Amino acid sequence: MSLNDFIRELDTLVDSAVERFNEAVDKFDGDVLEAARVEFLGAKSGKLKSAQKGLGTVSKDDKPAAGKRFNEVKQRIEELFETAVAKLSESGGSGKSSEAFDVSLPGTMLQVGHVHPITETIEELKDIMGRLGFSAVEGPEIEDDWHNFEALNIPMEHPARDPLDNFYLNAAAKAAGGDMLLRSQTSTVQIRVMENTKPPVRIVSLGRVYRPDEIDATHYAMFHQIEGLMIDTDVTMADLKSVLHLFAKTYLGHDVEIRFRPSFFPFTEPSVEVDMRWNDTWLEFGGAGMVDPNVLRAVGYDPEEVTGFAFGLGVERLCMRRHGVNDIRHLYNNNVRFLSQF
Amino acid sequence: MLVSWKWLNDYLQLDVSEAEFCDRVTMAGLNYDGSESVGDDRQLDLEVTSNRPDWLGHVGIAREASVLFDLDLKIPPAEVKGAGQPISDYVTVTIEDEAFCPRYIARAIKGVKVGPSPEWLARRLETLGIAVINNVVDITNYVLMEIGQPLHAFDLAKIDGAGVTVRQARPGEKFMAIDHKTYDLEPTDYVIADEVGAVAIAGVMGGADSEVTEATTDLLIEAAQFAALPVRTTSRRLKLKSDSSYRFERGVDPEMIDWASRRCCELILDLAGGELAEGSIYAGSKPQPRKSVTLRLPQLKRILGIEVPPAEVERILSRLGNEIESVASQKITVIPPSWRRDIDREIDLVEEVARIHGYDKIPQDAAVKMSASHRSDADRVRSRIRTLMVAAGMNEAVTRSVVSQEWSAAFHGWSQAEALTVTIPMVRGEDCLRLSLIPSLLGARRMNEKFDNSPIELYEIAKVYLPRKDELPDERYVVSMTSGRDFRGLKGVIETLVHSLNPDVRVTASRFADSLLDVEQACELKVGGKTLGFLGLLSASAQKTFELQQPTTVAELDLRVLEELTVLIPQHHEFSTYPAMTRDLNLIVDETLTWDQLEATVTASAGPLLEKVEFREIFRDTKKDGPGKKRVLFTITLRAADRTLTGEEADAVRNAIVAACETQHAAKLLG
Repeated sequence: MSLNDFIRELDTLVDSAVERFNEAVDKFDGDVLEAARVEFLGAKSGKLKSAQKGLGTVSKDDKPAAGKRFNEVKQRIEELFETAVAKLSESGGSGKSSEAFDVSLPGTMLQVGHVHPITETIEELKDIMGRLGFSAVEGPEIEDDWHNFEALNIPMEHPARDPLDNFYLNAAAKAAGGDMLLRSQTSTVQIRVMENTKPPVRIVSLGRVYRPDEIDATHYAMFHQIEGLMIDTDVTMADLKSVLHLFAKTYLGHDVEIRFRPSFFPFTEPSVEVDMRWNDTWLEFGGAGMVDPNVLRAVGYDPEEVTGFAFGLGVERLCMRRHGVNDIRHLYNNNVRFLSQF
Repeated sequence: MLVSWKWLNDYLQLDVSEAEFCDRVTMAGLNYDGSESVGDDRQLDLEVTSNRPDWLGHVGIAREASVLFDLDLKIPPAEVKGAGQPISDYVTVTIEDEAFCPRYIARAIKGVKVGPSPEWLARRLETLGIAVINNVVDITNYVLMEIGQPLHAFDLAKIDGAGVTVRQARPGEKFMAIDHKTYDLEPTDYVIADEVGAVAIAGVMGGADSEVTEATTDLLIEAAQFAALPVRTTSRRLKLKSDSSYRFERGVDPEMIDWASRRCCELILDLAGGELAEGSIYAGSKPQPRKSVTLRLPQLKRILGIEVPPAEVERILSRLGNEIESVASQKITVIPPSWRRDIDREIDLVEEVARIHGYDKIPQDAAVKMSASHRSDADRVRSRIRTLMVAAGMNEAVTRSVVSQEWSAAFHGWSQAEALTVTIPMVRGEDCLRLSLIPSLLGARRMNEKFDNSPIELYEIAKVYLPRKDELPDERYVVSMTSGRDFRGLKGVIETLVHSLNPDVRVTASRFADSLLDVEQACELKVGGKTLGFLGLLSASAQKTFELQQPTTVAELDLRVLEELTVLIPQHHEFSTYPAMTRDLNLIVDETLTWDQLEATVTASAGPLLEKVEFREIFRDTKKDGPGKKRVLFTITLRAADRTLTGEEADAVRNAIVAACETQHAAKLLG
């Protein structure tokens, strides 16, 4: 056989090998691949084996060139086989070609639940305040007059004590003495902490509070408050503003301005409303002020010795603003299609 | 408080824009809430805090503006001249209870011509949205809005007898108000009465019988001070709110009552004619002299964190109407103005200085001292519980703490006591402080079923309120859940939860009966002898009561018990690196033998090589095993700390287990 004829035969062999191995890959068929392997690389009657026999018929001078070419072709076909094997095993495609694997089928999702947005908001607020050195505390939701009003400098004739503005407990519950009610603010917890702690005090009190409001899109008879309190020998309104500034910066995630507007709360003096400037508008953030000397005295502190500030925020308002919730009732209806959004 | 822009300008020349005005008063404590045009005037809505009744009249707001913009204030002197007979010839005033009515000033005008108000007056009232009635009534309203002092004009001819008495209402006394509705009065209400009966509910509303009409010619003008609390109680009980009651509830300026009376008469004489009776009747006592208050200047720095120059302090206090009594190097003593009954302490003066000096002067970058804070264990546990519940596919719910009687009685896991109740229901029919969260969660479940929502897997962490005798109630946090899983499915959630908080704790279950739960599939869960909580399938009757379509399981756990068992900081134990060996066991036992009992025997008899026992299945084959028997299939995993176990060792453990089960439970090993 002439060298040219031999080389031509080898080229044909490569072409058909490419075709057969690709066929196996396209079909994801291990059987087709095995057949192709036997056809070309079979030890006894493989086409490469036959081609090798042709090598012996090439003239002596052409042998080195023919041998070199043969080795190249052999290597090439072996590569084709290995690539095909790799491709089939990569896609796990050793199965039957009739079961095409659809990679676009959806995965099996885990069914996970969701933390309530109110909880999430409270946790974030506690977290931020924690980094500013405030420890979170809780207290009873059923309170006596002293903690809910008296100690907070809210006198008997103050409208806040009106029976129609509070959830007082019915007579049967008065056994422990005096009126009892569902607390109308979490400041009660501050009183309890101060009664049992010597200054310095740095806490946030939080939890459910209750006021008999007609329930509508913006009012609910039960809501959540978070209140900060800091008492020490030299706490000033500048500290209050600075803590709120840090708080607002952290919560809103960028630089915000803080503004104090005069206001009135019985348990603080001076009392202010706090606004935050966010996206070029002033948002009401909550109430704040310096703890009233009467409150300090009520818990056994000396207002000549210590000063302190307190601030309070409505959790619902922050939560709704942050998540774009437009109706407070969504927060308590517990529709899972609502809850799953957070 | 609605304010007319033109009206304000009667008292001072405001050469600033409305916007600047609103901005400044807002920053001084009169929060601007919006404005609109009414005719050729502007109506501003300014929010007045309850401590500032002096801002419930135009003069008060003008006074504040005069300080903020440094302008002169002109208040009409309201000088009137009486003529003819002295007023005492017409009328007497008696106050039965000075605690309720410390002072009452009466004037009388004869021969007025009641008719429409002049246009300027009508327009003023219209700007504020006040109904225009007739010149006399309109003038009383005008002065009310001018100085914040309520006034009332009676038709003098309709006052029976010698005069009026301020007294408590008589039991069963009825009263027809100017709204021509009849009200039943109680002795807690106070009235102005003539000899026949009440002619006005003091501080709230006048009576129809003595109201001023076109036919009226003689007037009795009342200007008084009434106590806040009774006025509010009456006004709320009768659902009668008026501009007058609103102001009495906040307190009027005791030293301006006479001015208001004179001002009212002055305008009536001008606009309705008539002749003012000589003099006035002043019943009650004079206002207490005002007490001085001292501000120590260093207190400003101590409270506000900034210095305010002494001259500025003096200027602010004096411009606000405080009479400067004395000024020393480090302190200033003032007598607060009559309209500021809320100023009687040093801290009140600090606030006044801060407010006018400007809170914007207080820096927001003070170096607040660092302080360590700690996260409470309870918080840590709760957050771990949430993480686990969420991972288990449960959504967190928040439901109301106050429920209906029916829901309150639906489950009594923690307490058999009657729930505490509140005087006002939270929503209609809901007045019980809940003893369990489960009914609330079932309510949420029903709502979700109605919306075809699926899956409905809910949990809540909140308090139950368990009544205690002679003590504040036991407010206890519980973790409650409702699920569409079956009994073992929800039990698995609880066991996973407990395991995640403490892998060494075993939860045991014993039968529990409650009408909310299925007779068979209900249990009380315990850890270390303490009640952890309750778990069960909802009973058919409860399912009907709560109008639920799908089978439901519920559970409620005591958070304190979970807190106590939680290992917050797990400690490392050496663990075996040798392979484990397992053995399956299939025992025929009595139906009555519980898994808990069997597992306890297995654990006790297996010895130290036992790593875990896993329940597989229960089969029943009554043909082969006889009735009342079941086959329990389980797997034990064995592992040694120091070597690879041999098959013989494993078999020995298995044999020991089988032997123990045979003797203790008459169990038989199958195949």
